Amino acid sequence: MSEDLESRLHAALTPVAPRPEFTQNLIARVNADKRTEANTRGHRRSPKATAWWLIAGMAASLLTAVGMQHHLQSRRQTESGLEARRQVIEALHITSEKLNLAYEVIKSQSSSPADDRSGV
Amino acid sequence: MRNYSLGIFLALMAPTLAWAAPSPRLALPDFTALAQQATESVTITLDAALLAMAGRFLNGDDPQDAATKDILKGLQGIYVRSYTFDKDSAYQQSDIDAVRNQLSAPGWNRLVQTRSRKSQANVDIYIMVANNQAIGLALIASEPRQFTIVNIVGAIDLDKLHKLEGQFGVPKLDVDVAKVPTPSIKK
Repeated sequence: MSEDLESRLHAALTPVAPRPEFTQNLIARVNADKRTEANTRGHRRSPKATAWWLIAGMAASLLTAVGMQHHLQSRRQTESGLEARRQVIEALHITSEKLNLAYEVIKSQSSSPADDRSGV
Repeated sequence: MRNYSLGIFLALMAPTLAWAAPSPRLALPDFTALAQQATESVTITLDAALLAMAGRFLNGDDPQDAATKDILKGLQGIYVRSYTFDKDSAYQQSDIDAVRNQLSAPGWNRLVQTRSRKSQANVDIYIMVANNQAIGLALIASEPRQFTIVNIVGAIDLDKLHKLEGQFGVPKLDVDVAKVPTPSIKK
């Protein structure tokens, strides 16, 4: 019984030569893996390129920020200028209104001196 | 050496002398309390920088803007305080006197003084003259329900102010501009 088992094991574990296409398949597979690895390496960015893109991105952000700042400052200046213009016109309007008041008093003085008093 | 010492002395004294010189800029009191009571208040404070900025936004092609731009030349400041109330005697005369007292300082000349019993409107116009040139104008107008103070600082060309006639409704005052710096001004 034990001899039978031993002989069966021996028969099962006998070295068998690989089929003739096995080596070719193996070499083809190894070559294919090498090509894939080379392609992947070609697509990966170098650290230099990454740094360049980072700097370019930062510069673009900085330019955008400066542009925005300039735009906002220019807008604020325009608003201040228009407000100053409005105030100048209002100030001159008030001045003219009061000069008109003085003029009216002077004019009415000439018609009825008892009511008004003026000195020019 | 003596000239050198004199130069240093004058340089050191310059700020004091400048301080002592009468200024066409009035020290306008704080009217915050009055502004709160007023139904309408106008506070305009325009220094030289703001006037220059305003000038850049005035269109020279527009007649009113062109006249305004012309007047602004040489001005260093425009200060206006105007308060309107919904009842008579809402403000004290002392509020105005604080400003009026400054106009009794040397340099200020009263150009026009009007008192109307009918409308109870009083208008005083003062100018400060230096080197035959008006360098400051002050206007105080008090009515029962309104008082206004205008202070214009800088080289004021009264002829140009006359040119405002028709632009802002400014009337032509019968004031001989040429006589302004002369002693004929009533004070």
